[in-house]
Amino acid sequence: MTATTPAPSVPDIPARLHRGRPRIAAIAWRLSRPGGQSAAAVVLPVVAFAITTALLLTVLGGTMMFVRTGLGDPDLAVYPILAGFAVALLVVPLVSLGGSAARLSARRRDDRLATLRLIGATPAQVARITVLEATAFALAGALVGAVLYLAATPAVGLVRFFGEPIGAGSLWVGLGPLGLVVAGVVLVAAASAALGLRSVVISPLGVRTKASAPRMHWLRAVVAVAVVAVVVVGMQNLTLFGQFGGMLMMVAAMLVAFAVVLAVLGLLGPWLIGVVARAQLRRARTASALIAARTVLESPKALWRQVGGVAMACFVAVVAGSGLALAGVAGGEMEAELVEDMHTGVWITLVMSFLMVACSVGVNQAAQILDRRDLYVGLDRLGTPRSVMEAARVRGIVGPLLTVVVSAVIAGGLLVLPLLGIAIVVAPATILTLLLVFAVGVGLVVAGLVASRPVLSAVLAAPERV
Amino acid sequence: MTPSILTAHRLLKSYDRAPAPALDEVSIQVAAGESVAIMGPSGSGKTTLLHALAGIVPVDAGQVTFHGPTGAVEVSSLSESRRSALRRDHFGFVFQQGLLIPELTAVENVSLPLLLAGYRRQDAESRAASWLDALGLAGMGGRRIGELSGGQAQRVAIARAQVTGASIVFADEPTGALDSATSVEVLDALLGSTVGQGRTLVVVTHDEDVAARCARIVRLRDGRIRDDSAPRGAAATGGPRFAGAGWSADEDGSL
Ligand SMILES: Nc1ncnc2c1ncn2[C@@H]1O[C@H](COP(=O)(O)OP(=O)(O)O)[C@@H](O)[C@H]1O
Ligand SMILES: [Mg+2]
Repeated sequence: MTATTPAPSVPDIPARLHRGRPRIAAIAWRLSRPGGQSAAAVVLPVVAFAITTALLLTVLGGTMMFVRTGLGDPDLAVYPILAGFAVALLVVPLVSLGGSAARLSARRRDDRLATLRLIGATPAQVARITVLEATAFALAGALVGAVLYLAATPAVGLVRFFGEPIGAGSLWVGLGPLGLVVAGVVLVAAASAALGLRSVVISPLGVRTKASAPRMHWLRAVVAVAVVAVVVVGMQNLTLFGQFGGMLMMVAAMLVAFAVVLAVLGLLGPWLIGVVARAQLRRARTASALIAARTVLESPKALWRQVGGVAMACFVAVVAGSGLALAGVAGGEMEAELVEDMHTGVWITLVMSFLMVACSVGVNQAAQILDRRDLYVGLDRLGTPRSVMEAARVRGIVGPLLTVVVSAVIAGGLLVLPLLGIAIVVAPATILTLLLVFAVGVGLVVAGLVASRPVLSAVLAAPERV
Repeated sequence: MTPSILTAHRLLKSYDRAPAPALDEVSIQVAAGESVAIMGPSGSGKTTLLHALAGIVPVDAGQVTFHGPTGAVEVSSLSESRRSALRRDHFGFVFQQGLLIPELTAVENVSLPLLLAGYRRQDAESRAASWLDALGLAGMGGRRIGELSGGQAQRVAIARAQVTGASIVFADEPTGALDSATSVEVLDALLGSTVGQGRTLVVVTHDEDVAARCARIVRLRDGRIRDDSAPRGAAATGGPRFAGAGWSADEDGSL
């Protein structure tokens, strides 16, 4: 139903198509012209690419700084390793943010492109229009992002490492890498637009004709829980590994345990989101709770892609946070400065991943409102209060987000149960800070949701005839 | 004479970039329990009139008055949120595309207006289910909208429009996207559940067969009423007579 309403600017295109060879660039331009409220459809992907690029450059700048420092001073060799670990944690949310941007720039066009197909444009023409457009959006976004990154360095430079603010200059990646990042973002966007296109090219009619919500098998959960249990038991007996294989064996066992739990989280995440949503569906008393639960159940995997990016960071934050709390209290063994820097690193990684998820949620939500414009307009006409639509949107994201955060925290907590227990007793401030950072993170994501609110207002203020 | 339930007086409405007004001094009275078809060429202002009558779009001049169960309300002077509440509480809507929420089941879609009105979910769903039964969708309440045919989905939309006991149902080309056999079914359901129950129906349509079954046809052209009369031939019957049991959904007494 939502997929079939043609955009108002389309009807005059057939004439052009009939008149010999249409100029692809001209059609692309006509389709992307911001007409009134659909300006958001052009601005949004550009903003999404800009934020992706800016965050990517900032992370890269920070990592390069640590690598430089580590190479320069053997005493600081641990920094690049830790930074590499942080980057690994940020890759997932960053890729998912970039993916949203790419999907957004292609998907927003689905309806119009489907219309183009219906009126006889060849698949090749449709493909060229989409890829051209996505590339243009990505290029504009990446350039804006580079400027954003530069503008943000003074503020980011205030972060303290090695006992002093790192300074804006130390985050500069250099002209070459800057160009590479911009080119990379554009390339990935073009490629994913070309890939995402197939569904439209294959079926010109309705992209959203799915009839039934997918279900996931409970066996997944059983296997996952069993694996986690084995890992937890293994962790409790970590010293056994130490007795058999020495320190190296112990570290290896810990790394394997980490990797396994992270993999399990990825496997379990969508399923857990679905289970919680199903429980919420049963308990729903209000229209917004009902709509939110059903929306989540429609595609737990899509929601995992949006919010799952924080899972790993939350998990690691609990594990590392507990360890660091104890190290800070014990003192001596590790340098106080290193412990402090590791704290900073944990907070930054955590906040960054929440920030990326917040951006991706904002972008995805805005896209969703535009995609389902006629449904929102219809609900408004029936007299559905704005507050109900907003509440459904917020619940639909915050529910899965809390599911992810809480289960990652529990998994991390189980893994280091004795450590965490001691940390709570001897270093409550650190644990409180950790909780505070979680709260700030969830707040950031809600802010991302709120940021997409004007899009709904615009849609409802100027409803096209549906 | 039957009392009016809705009166519109000299409505004027122009859109920003349009050369001519979409509504040009339109006045109309709708009697309680009446069925009115609004016809006219594309762009003649049918949808705009329907939206103005239902308080969806504000008019530039003129008044719309709804003589509801709690007295007369001047729709055109209400704030946006009051109009929204009025639509929710007293009006029902059926659009060309049902605009049902695809993630929800049929029963959940129909129960939505009741939830918004503060009903308990269980009550809302059982009432919604009896409306679906009455409209020939027994046993399909658990299906999602994508699992229903166009005609079935449209009947779900009709159930949703009726479930709160709306005194007027507004329909904009409710059969516009359906084949003719399905159109007849949907129209039967629409007429039977509105005028068949003493409620009022205002329906915009292109289809002379649809209009012919209404008590009155209002013809628009260029934003003005050109003709307002009963359809040629027989007086409208208000649709088929339904077996009594089918329509008892809202007289159930259980709510
Ligand atoms: N949102 C709008 N913005 C600008 N013009 C509009 C809008 N809605 C309707 N119109 C114009 O108002 C006139 C009446 O439209 P409408 O009421 O939709 O006619 P109908 O439903 O009879 O086809 C048309 O000329 C149409 O182009
Ligand atoms: Mg119309």
